[in-house]
Amino acid sequence: MRSQSRRFASMTAVLAAGALALAGCAQGGGGGAPQGAASTSQKPLENKAVSAITVGTAQDSAGPAPEIQGAKSGGTVYMIDRDDFSHLDPGRVYVNYNSSVSKLFTRTLTAYKHDDSGDIKLVGDLATDTGTTTDGGKTWKFTLKDGLKWQDGSPITAGDIKYSFERLFADFITEGPDYAETWLVPDPNKPFRDQYKGPYDGKELDTIETPDDKTVIFKLNGEHPDFNFTVAMTGYGAVPKAHDTKQKYDRQPFSSGPYKIVSHITDKSMDLERNEHWDPKTDPIRHAYPDKFHMEFGVQAQQTTERFMADTGNDKTAFTFHNAVAPERVQEVLGDPELMKRSVQGLTPFTTFYNINTKRITDVNVRKAIITAWPAKQIQQIEGGEVNTGKIATTVLSPTVLGYEPFDLYGKLAKPEGDPEAAKQLLAQSGNANPTVVYAYNQTPTQEKITVAVKEALTKAGFKVVAKPLNPTTYYDAIGPVDNKFDIYWGGWAADWPTGSTAIQPQFDGRQIADNAPNYTHLDVPEINEAIDKANKITDATEAGKAWAAIDKMIMEQAAIVPEYYQTYFGLYGSGLGGVKMDPIEGEQSALDIWVK
Amino acid sequence: MTFPSSTTTDDAADSVDATPPAGSDPAIVGRSPGQLMWRRFRRDKTGVISAIIVLAFFLIALLAPVISALYGKDPYSTYGQNQPGLLNEYGYPIAPNGGMSGEFWFGLEPGLGRDVFMQLVYGIRTSLSIAVIVTVITTVVGVVMGITSGYLGGKTDYVIGRVIDTLLAFPSQLFLIVFLPVVEAAIVLPEEETPVWLRYVSICIVLTVLGWATIARLLRAQVLSLRTREFIEAARVTGASPGRIIFKELLPNLWTPIIIQATLALPLFVGAEAGLGFLGVGMTEPTPDWGRMFQVGVNVYHSDVTYLIFPGVSMLIFVVAFNLLGDSIRDAFDPKTKR
Repeated sequence: MRSQSRRFASMTAVLAAGALALAGCAQGGGGGAPQGAASTSQKPLENKAVSAITVGTAQDSAGPAPEIQGAKSGGTVYMIDRDDFSHLDPGRVYVNYNSSVSKLFTRTLTAYKHDDSGDIKLVGDLATDTGTTTDGGKTWKFTLKDGLKWQDGSPITAGDIKYSFERLFADFITEGPDYAETWLVPDPNKPFRDQYKGPYDGKELDTIETPDDKTVIFKLNGEHPDFNFTVAMTGYGAVPKAHDTKQKYDRQPFSSGPYKIVSHITDKSMDLERNEHWDPKTDPIRHAYPDKFHMEFGVQAQQTTERFMADTGNDKTAFTFHNAVAPERVQEVLGDPELMKRSVQGLTPFTTFYNINTKRITDVNVRKAIITAWPAKQIQQIEGGEVNTGKIATTVLSPTVLGYEPFDLYGKLAKPEGDPEAAKQLLAQSGNANPTVVYAYNQTPTQEKITVAVKEALTKAGFKVVAKPLNPTTYYDAIGPVDNKFDIYWGGWAADWPTGSTAIQPQFDGRQIADNAPNYTHLDVPEINEAIDKANKITDATEAGKAWAAIDKMIMEQAAIVPEYYQTYFGLYGSGLGGVKMDPIEGEQSALDIWVK
Repeated sequence: MTFPSSTTTDDAADSVDATPPAGSDPAIVGRSPGQLMWRRFRRDKTGVISAIIVLAFFLIALLAPVISALYGKDPYSTYGQNQPGLLNEYGYPIAPNGGMSGEFWFGLEPGLGRDVFMQLVYGIRTSLSIAVIVTVITTVVGVVMGITSGYLGGKTDYVIGRVIDTLLAFPSQLFLIVFLPVVEAAIVLPEEETPVWLRYVSICIVLTVLGWATIARLLRAQVLSLRTREFIEAARVTGASPGRIIFKELLPNLWTPIIIQATLALPLFVGAEAGLGFLGVGMTEPTPDWGRMFQVGVNVYHSDVTYLIFPGVSMLIFVVAFNLLGDSIRDAFDPKTKR
């Protein structure tokens, strides 16, 4: 998924100069300024990489989820966040925020199990295991668990699962992922909706077979050894045939999980209550300790931060899925050990980077020089330090991707502020000591400052930098054309599931270069393309991970991007809650293990 | 924002002592209106102090390179990023009070670590120079258009009047936000960088185009009432040319509103330019800009409130002083105004 261009301009109303100055006097004149204090009492971040992503066994997939020590059932958990959930119909869920809440009432064939050590395991959720394939990933067989029920007590059958996939072809479901749809029709290169129109006119999709009520067999049009990861996306969650209300389903999804929606007032609130037909023995990932959830929307990050800091009333038992600590309060929070006890931090699947247009900068040494001279540390400082941005990245793959291997080809961790001398040497090898590069950026206050730092660093190494401001609302349209006139431009990416295929192939497969396609670097190296094809065919997840890591290295050797950050999440929750954890797959807080103290 | 056509700012003038009636000079000395005005002005303490403050600001702006040479810093170097130990890992100054020290008098800019004092001095230079240029041009254009419109009347008056109406109804801030990138896209090739002077000139042009209407309308009204007065009639009867009537008869009677209007317009343009900088459509990095300092200040005030104080207080002082000065000048020109 493409990352939003997060550095949009914050257009605030013009405030009278005098009013600002007065406010400044009032605050600055009083107590000592806090900026000095924080530098001494900050705590190092614990953004460790995910130690391992593995595919679990049938045993791992069996419920119930292991008890959390000291946790107890009951109570109401409050959730405060900025936005209402834009979609709850599983087929239309793609955004991580919608996906996080859906886990409370929508179950999928497979799902991710996190343990305290940070390991992530793919396990069967509705399925007894993570699926089996005998022909390298073309045919996938899933067996459903016993005792699975919808919220009305009727059983969840293989027919329901088949139907859940069929309805994704309907014309009103456009917001979700479309991997499975493309793979389930005869020809993957033609639009999938032309080949099957959905179940509403009575036609079935014959590539999904249900020999009995417990077995689903997918016959894909190609080899997709990580299809079991694909179906872990909420977008492939279960929808009952008998209760499908089509467009209206988005408002009131029928629960297969531990909670059901009792009320949902758009942009205001949503209430969840227990679904008594959910059987914990069938569920390896959901604890469902609280009796109720009350979710409140329209609370900006600034306010949630203040409310969590104040920690009064219902906010004591409140958490937030998405809202991070407001950047301007981060120092304050870090300096308060009490607050830090109820903070959640960790890596998100998002990585950011600066694309180098390999169609325009064809000399690999010039590209290497750009990476070597890049002022990573300065940029991080301008954006508020590691807590607000993330760790400085050196690879294409995020540490949240299976098979990720850390390496640092250009010594960016040793010299994060850039190494102009080494860059000069690289430029000398390229034959042009003073190449001109066009750096395009979103015209926002922060980006303008970053441009100052970039210009300074690259100029030191001998580059001539032309800085081009772009309108933030049309940023991607400007950098989208293959024949754009820019050399370096920012971008962000997150894999749709934590294997290398969705992280690397869309971005660096040279055969997928097109206007507005995600291959913004226009990298087209035959060896990389071949390696991608090979990696896509490896059935063993660990082996495939290694192959993707090797491709990662090949891309970095080509110096196609300047990696920027592995983005982090840093959020707070109320003091009355236990078990609030970071979900590294979604990159925000998880509701599955929460309990009320 | 459209610039309010404020010919009087009554609130700010309350502290000004009403000019006492001309003293008891024993001998009657003939004095020109200019001399009279100057004498009245000198007696107005508020006016004199404001004048000194305003002058100081202009001197600072003019002498920015000298100040920079004496102080030993420049507004472009990122001291905080180049010298370790000045900024912490969040980009904020490590030393208390925004990093104020003997070396960096006003502290360091969070993030890039540039010197705040130099940023302010050069920012004032940028903003004031734009404001002065715009004020001069708008005044000239406004005077010409206003007098032409008022004196000629008829169709000319109608056309100019409608143009003024349109301009006054224009949301100038919005126009600027939309217009500036368009100018650049039209003139600058995609592979070239926008030159600093182009930004500067386009800001001046747009502010001028949208700024002359107020003074023109005011002068038109003045001319309309003047042209039916006896001395104009007399001049016309004696066969004076329109040029002579405008420059020798009308203009001397218009200096007072022109000067007052110009002194009141200048701080408005400073504010407008700062507003543009604040909204991110003014002068771009790395050119220092007064308004953009506010934008930085607003983003960092939770952790570094000191930064906001310097641009804030200096602009507050400047705008208040300039408004008081404008008021005093008005009082000095027009002693009949009683409060």
